[in-house]
Amino acid sequence: MFTRVQAAALTGVQVASVWVEADVSDGLPTFSMVGYLSSEVREAQDRVRTALRNLGIAMPPKKITINLAPTDIRKEGARYDLPIAAAILAAGNYIPENSLKETMILGELGLDGQVRHITGVLPSVIHAKESGCRICIVPMDNLREASVVKEMLVVGVAHLEQMIEFFRSGEIPDRKEEISEKAEDEKLDFSDICGQEAVKRAAMIAVSGFHNLLLIGPPGSGKSMLARRIPTLLPELTEEECMEISKIYSVAGLLPEDSGLIHNRPFRAPHHTATPQALAGGGKIPKPGEITLAHKGILFLDELPEFSKRSLEILRQPLEEHKICISRSNATYEFPAHFLLTAAMNPCPCGFYPDMNRCACSATEVIHYRNRISQPLLDRMDVCVEAPAVSYLELKGQKNSSLSSKEIRNTVKRVQNIQRQRYSKLPISFNSELSSKYVETYCVLDRDAGKVMQKAFEKLQLSARGYHRLLKVARTIADMEEETLIRQRHIQEAICYRSLDKKYWK
Amino acid sequence: MENKGIIDNNKRKYQNSKMDDLNNCMQNEIHTVTRFETNYPPKLQNLLDPPAQLYWKGSLPKEERPSVAIVGARLCSNYGKNVAKEFAYALTKAGVQIISGMALGIDGAAHEGALEAGGKTYAVLGCGVDRCYPKDNVHLYRSIPQNGGIISEFSAGMPPLAANFPQRNRIISGLADIILVVEAKEKSGSLITVDFALEQGRTVYAVPGRVHDPLSEGCHRLIAQGAGIAYKPELILEELHIDTEKQQNKKRYKERNSKLGLATNLELVYSCLDLQPQNMETILGKVPFDLQELSGILLELQFLDLVEETTKNYYARRNIGFDNF
Repeated sequence: MFTRVQAAALTGVQVASVWVEADVSDGLPTFSMVGYLSSEVREAQDRVRTALRNLGIAMPPKKITINLAPTDIRKEGARYDLPIAAAILAAGNYIPENSLKETMILGELGLDGQVRHITGVLPSVIHAKESGCRICIVPMDNLREASVVKEMLVVGVAHLEQMIEFFRSGEIPDRKEEISEKAEDEKLDFSDICGQEAVKRAAMIAVSGFHNLLLIGPPGSGKSMLARRIPTLLPELTEEECMEISKIYSVAGLLPEDSGLIHNRPFRAPHHTATPQALAGGGKIPKPGEITLAHKGILFLDELPEFSKRSLEILRQPLEEHKICISRSNATYEFPAHFLLTAAMNPCPCGFYPDMNRCACSATEVIHYRNRISQPLLDRMDVCVEAPAVSYLELKGQKNSSLSSKEIRNTVKRVQNIQRQRYSKLPISFNSELSSKYVETYCVLDRDAGKVMQKAFEKLQLSARGYHRLLKVARTIADMEEETLIRQRHIQEAICYRSLDKKYWK
Repeated sequence: MENKGIIDNNKRKYQNSKMDDLNNCMQNEIHTVTRFETNYPPKLQNLLDPPAQLYWKGSLPKEERPSVAIVGARLCSNYGKNVAKEFAYALTKAGVQIISGMALGIDGAAHEGALEAGGKTYAVLGCGVDRCYPKDNVHLYRSIPQNGGIISEFSAGMPPLAANFPQRNRIISGLADIILVVEAKEKSGSLITVDFALEQGRTVYAVPGRVHDPLSEGCHRLIAQGAGIAYKPELILEELHIDTEKQQNKKRYKERNSKLGLATNLELVYSCLDLQPQNMETILGKVPFDLQELSGILLELQFLDLVEETTKNYYARRNIGFDNF
């Protein structure tokens, strides 16, 4: 007798349908599995057989054939245990045969019949809904993320018995009650930062136009502190973004246990020992790397020159294309990677240059340190600002500006809306994404600004690329004041934040 | 050519055979002289270990004209750079030839000051004269041969080995009448030049600085040991018996005061700046402007050549107002 049930395979963050087919027929009692399987999928037969026996269900002494279709997708992981068990049960008439119609089943089995947590449930359930399933059976531990998907019946099972019971009587197992006592997150706010007006302003501009930000400063000047607060300036996630990010985290197995979705902007701060694979995503079947986990949020690279050159150079393509393609022998995987790169570095190995009373480095040491960051990467940092050491007065809060994250966030939202409206006909939504083709169309200077720009171009020896970057940042500053034309003061301020040129590195 | 000087065996491998060497020199417009020829600089002839052969591009210093060597730290302060430029400018205007090592920092600034004054300046390198070291000073490497010369005792193709530099310092001091140290840490390579200078009987001057400034420690030590205190360029001119009275009639270096006829807000910001670079944040605390206004004013001042951005977001006065001022 033949039965069939739907499962799902992960290919990057995308999902493909997999059909688990079981056939129980007369013949020599064997159990064979086919369909381009990896060894852990092949091992499923032992887990399924033992789990069933431990429930008192003996496999029929017949020829059992399992096929996982389509055959051109490599099946990996233990996510097919539960659908295989269900297909065998239906083929052996232990559960009603038609109950598997329009049903997707996912889950790993233990030898005692316990159903274990798997990764990538959220995108799979979304895919199930799109492909017309009505019922989705998932491990109880994954129920929270799966039940985010509305208009379909999502059943969480903790044990194989509960699944059989559900198919026989339609009884839905109780949701596992979790008493979560999670300590309240330390509320980060931008107003915690003392002084540093220039840096704060630069951060605000960077976030408004989604410009990459480079912070330079001596140790203890608050670069990391500031970077950690940048996510609080970004507008709250929309529902669409929330789903997009949660899918990625589901595949990476990083969804928080207490809530099914990611509700906060991602902030990823990989250590400077991170390998290229850790940043880009790696493995035989690639898993999302840090740049994908930072999608729609902040990727913070502290101590930028300490990262290996190879790790830094892989950022170049994703910074342009907002995605990363990883090719393996069996397939090419595409991961989204639209993040705001925030980097922090010291001005020299000891950290105090240009304060010559404290700096103990030689001229060559300073140059070598700075040369670890390549020009192409520097070219992608639109806003760059040097944070000085904080003075006592600023620490005591006498000169503290009281702009809170919420106030800045409102400005940022307004500015981002202006940009979205302006670029509604283009496939972009921020000033930083403008290609050089459109820069001249959208970044129009008034007369005075044009004069300043011309002077600056000659005086500061700007390159064509530097010129375009300046225009984009000036566009964002003008948007903050809701000006249609870029005025003189906008250009002047933008010049102040222009990225490092190599000539300043001497 | 028996006397190979102190060019040791392991460096000799960079020296081509004599014929190759000559060919190479002709092709690259490099002049050369051995110490047994007549146009060899007499000042070097009297050294304890004169270089056996000199190579140069451009020309050699004129024997009859006074020359001053200006040396100092590579990683110097903005103040030091300005002082080096200012002294080089004033001395050059009075007809002095400036000799230095074309290194980063003070050396480079001294050459720049001399070039700006339109005088002669000579760079003594620690590598072959066909190589530009350090690469960052390529602008000097290009313009010095037309306004003086690039000199080395090493043949073309010699790489800038660390061991070459103390050795070339004896030529810097040897070619000069006076050595001026602008900024030097306590253990500085410039002090090697001073040691050579004392051995060779040259006068040493040092520019004083603040007591706690590590970059002035070497200078202060020299002063304590009897070096002259160079608090203005005229002192050195007097030492060289150049009539400073006549010079003073000439229009030359002028301290920039606040009577520049600037707009009030430019004036205000300019008065907050000095030769030590300050971060924008620090300036912001001193003036009643917001960040946007301040950045505009600083840019304006940069356009007027009154202020320079020394490193990212650090601003200092450009205190070298010359003839056009």
